[in-house]
Amino acid sequence: MNPYVLAILLSSLGIGTTLTFASSHWLLAWMGLEISTLAIIPLMAQQHHPRAVEATTKYFLTQATAAAMILFASTTNAWTTGEWNIQEMSNPTALVLITMALALKIGLAPVHYWLPEVLQGLNLTTGLILSTWQKLAPFALIYQISPMMNPTLVITLGLASTIIGGWGGLNQTQLRKILAYSSIAHLGWMMIVMQYSPNLAILNLILYIAMTTATFLTFKNVTSTKLSTLTLTWSKTPMMTTMAMMTLLSLGGLPPLTGFMPKWLILQELTKQNLPLTASIMALAALLSLFFYLRMCYAMTLTIAPNTNNNASTWRQKSSQTTMTLSITTTLALTLLPITPAIMALTT
Amino acid sequence: MHSPTLIFSSTLLIIFVLLMFPLIVSLNPSPLNKKWAISHVKTAVQTAFYVSLFPLAVFFDQGMEVITTNWHWMNIATFDINISFKFDQYSIIFTPVALYVTWSILEFASWYMHSDPNMNRFFKYLLLFLIAMITLVTANNMFQLFIGWEGVGIMSFLLIGWWYGRADANTAALQAVIYNRVGDIGLILSMAWFAMSMNTWEIQQMFASSQDNQATLPLMGLILAATGKSAQFGLHPWLPSAMEGPTPVSALLHSSTMVVAGIFLLIRLHPLMEHNQVALTTCLCLGATTTLFTAACALTQNDIKKIVAFSTSSQLGLMMVTIGLNQPQLAFLHICTHAFFKAMLFLCSGSIIHSLNDEQDIRKMGGLHTMLPLTSTCLTIGSLALTGMPFLSGFFSKDAIIEALNTSHLNAWALTLTLIATSFTAVYSFRVIFFASMGSPRFLPLSPLNENNPTVMNPIKRLAWGSILAGLFITSNFLPAKTPIMTMPTTLKLSALLVTALGLLMALELTSLTNKQLKITPTIPLHNFSNMLGYFPSVIHRLTPKIKLSLGQTMATHLIDQTWLEKVGPKGVTTTQIPLIKATNNIQQGLIKTYLTIFFLTTTLAIFLITLI
Repeated sequence: MNPYVLAILLSSLGIGTTLTFASSHWLLAWMGLEISTLAIIPLMAQQHHPRAVEATTKYFLTQATAAAMILFASTTNAWTTGEWNIQEMSNPTALVLITMALALKIGLAPVHYWLPEVLQGLNLTTGLILSTWQKLAPFALIYQISPMMNPTLVITLGLASTIIGGWGGLNQTQLRKILAYSSIAHLGWMMIVMQYSPNLAILNLILYIAMTTATFLTFKNVTSTKLSTLTLTWSKTPMMTTMAMMTLLSLGGLPPLTGFMPKWLILQELTKQNLPLTASIMALAALLSLFFYLRMCYAMTLTIAPNTNNNASTWRQKSSQTTMTLSITTTLALTLLPITPAIMALTT
Repeated sequence: MHSPTLIFSSTLLIIFVLLMFPLIVSLNPSPLNKKWAISHVKTAVQTAFYVSLFPLAVFFDQGMEVITTNWHWMNIATFDINISFKFDQYSIIFTPVALYVTWSILEFASWYMHSDPNMNRFFKYLLLFLIAMITLVTANNMFQLFIGWEGVGIMSFLLIGWWYGRADANTAALQAVIYNRVGDIGLILSMAWFAMSMNTWEIQQMFASSQDNQATLPLMGLILAATGKSAQFGLHPWLPSAMEGPTPVSALLHSSTMVVAGIFLLIRLHPLMEHNQVALTTCLCLGATTTLFTAACALTQNDIKKIVAFSTSSQLGLMMVTIGLNQPQLAFLHICTHAFFKAMLFLCSGSIIHSLNDEQDIRKMGGLHTMLPLTSTCLTIGSLALTGMPFLSGFFSKDAIIEALNTSHLNAWALTLTLIATSFTAVYSFRVIFFASMGSPRFLPLSPLNENNPTVMNPIKRLAWGSILAGLFITSNFLPAKTPIMTMPTTLKLSALLVTALGLLMALELTSLTNKQLKITPTIPLHNFSNMLGYFPSVIHRLTPKIKLSLGQTMATHLIDQTWLEKVGPKGVTTTQIPLIKATNNIQQGLIKTYLTIFFLTTTLAIFLITLI
């Protein structure tokens, strides 16, 4: 893509999200969301092939709907209460609408259907942006209205997301779809603790971004988009295979890796809020996600897919891609558990 | 003067030393002398018998009984276990009887097992058995009794399976052990009950604590133990199968000594069940059923040893009936007299079998009274004693039992069955005599018929003297503890003789039919029932193992494997999750309109539920 165009698009992407962060007026927030949507659309469609175009279209339709709903809800609230401030929203109907719209924006169940298909149509870099950066702005809005959201609705969204994220990912062989369902499941964890400790949700989001970035970049490095091509990573980069395996297990939430931290703290918070049943269901649903992460680890490390003879030996050529981001995020994804108190202090 | 108590207890303990001595000699690593069996074992038993006559004489003269406690073995808090011997009327009389019979059998065995390369081991086993049996009868506590009990059980297993190359012998030995074990459950149950509620295994203390309460559970346990050991109905098939062992084994274990251990247990512990009607009725009915059933089975057997085995079983049933009548002393008297003539019957069978070159089928014997006169005479004497010919040894015990049966208030059915069994006794005894010694020979011409060896003839003669005189001897010196009823109608008094004579006449009549054919085809069903032992082994030995094995298989496969691995565990998780996974994925059809519709519906529903309810 033309570097100037790319520069404009990426900077618009950044400005959009930042605008939403910085705003306290609903209209400004909505503008930021629209800017980021519009900026990412060309990025998605840059390869022009039908699948990418289909993904772009679906993304646009969904996000536009969600943004329209946000606008509608905030105007309803302004009409009934006269209040445009994000943190002063009080109309119950508007709140429900906003919650559902934001859920559609980030892809929570039961309105998650667009996410796997859209993510599947994108290349890995754009998919990375969609999974990580695009979650930040809606999340900022959710953080701000979290005290006013209806508890039942939030818990329903959270539970449904975790469970559907688990079940959905189990039948997939395409890595991007697996990561889409993984995203749905993690967002479920974030939602569930949103009204009790929003900072924990932020913590979860940050760690999720680190882990997912590491995963996407690994897949980009070895250019594998399917479970079957994942089995050949050992011949390209054995060290990265090991690290990727552990990153995936970190996504699954296994101690002593980083991914255990948010799950642990969230379960603790839920128990303190006297919701043991919810905590149990969340933990059990996390097992479902763990299984497809394990399947990926198994494919990467313990199997050799049938392939031709010259692929069976390792080439170990130096990769042409820069791996600084990958190494930083992998380190973050694997080793942050011992400094949990410090991290909690950062986000509390 | 020498203290009689000292002589008494020391002679009895000397008997133990005499019997243990050959065993200790055999612990020497160097191989035994060929003549060891005769020079050591038989001599030891013979000497022990003579020694045991001293206490017998003292007992008959002065009525002395002795209990010696020798060693405080162990204790658990207040519960003591000692080594203590009780030499009372039962063990003082039984020990000489057992030693006499064993002496004769050992002498016979030195002829019968002459060609066996392991004869010394055979004699060692028999000696070990004898020691266990004497331990059992002289035990003053349940622990020592149990030691003897288990000892005789194990030796029975080893001796029945003496010819272990023969599959039938192994099966029979296993059968003996398993049936005995079932009985042992009862004994252990009783021992546990005694230990818990009477806090003792010493017999004196048990009798003292049982005056006020006579609970049924331990008594049922003891009756179960007797059923197993003494082959009462339900646990009886092992006794005929035990005839797979050599004839000396059958003579010693399965006629005189081991099988009476169960009855002896009940006699020893009789004061515990004197007043418990349930236990007494159980003994009565069980004994009556046994005696009739086994006598009926004996009627159509063709193996001479099996007929004698069933006869033993029938007499054991009679002893059980006697216990049910509250007459332990009569039962004990019958044990002693029965030992003599039954052992002699077995020895005569052994002599016949060896003389006809190991032929055991009575249909292939005949006319032996001319060729083996002493053996067939003693066979006749033994059978007469068995059927209760007046003034032979069996008469004193058997007739007394039947008189007691007739004159007590009891179950009429038990009475009837016992009388019928008595007549059957005459029938099958006559059958043996008819087929073995009467008529013309049906065996091969070149049979090694031989009565010249004193090693085989002297034991038989000795036991014949015992069969004739033992009843008289014991009764005249033995004071009855319970008053026998002396007055009864004449028919009732003669009832035992009448039914026996009736049975004999019927048997005579039936045997005259052996060479005539009055019916075109014989009536098979009754014969088959008797010949197949009432179909009891055929059913139980197949049905029970099949049920148990299939139950085990169901538990292992269905209950454990299938349930835990397929329904609950890994596969169960898979089968429950897969439909849900498929449902989650199948909704994704790719139609954005569907997705947006779902969004609108969800939103509407949420608004409706939250704001309006």
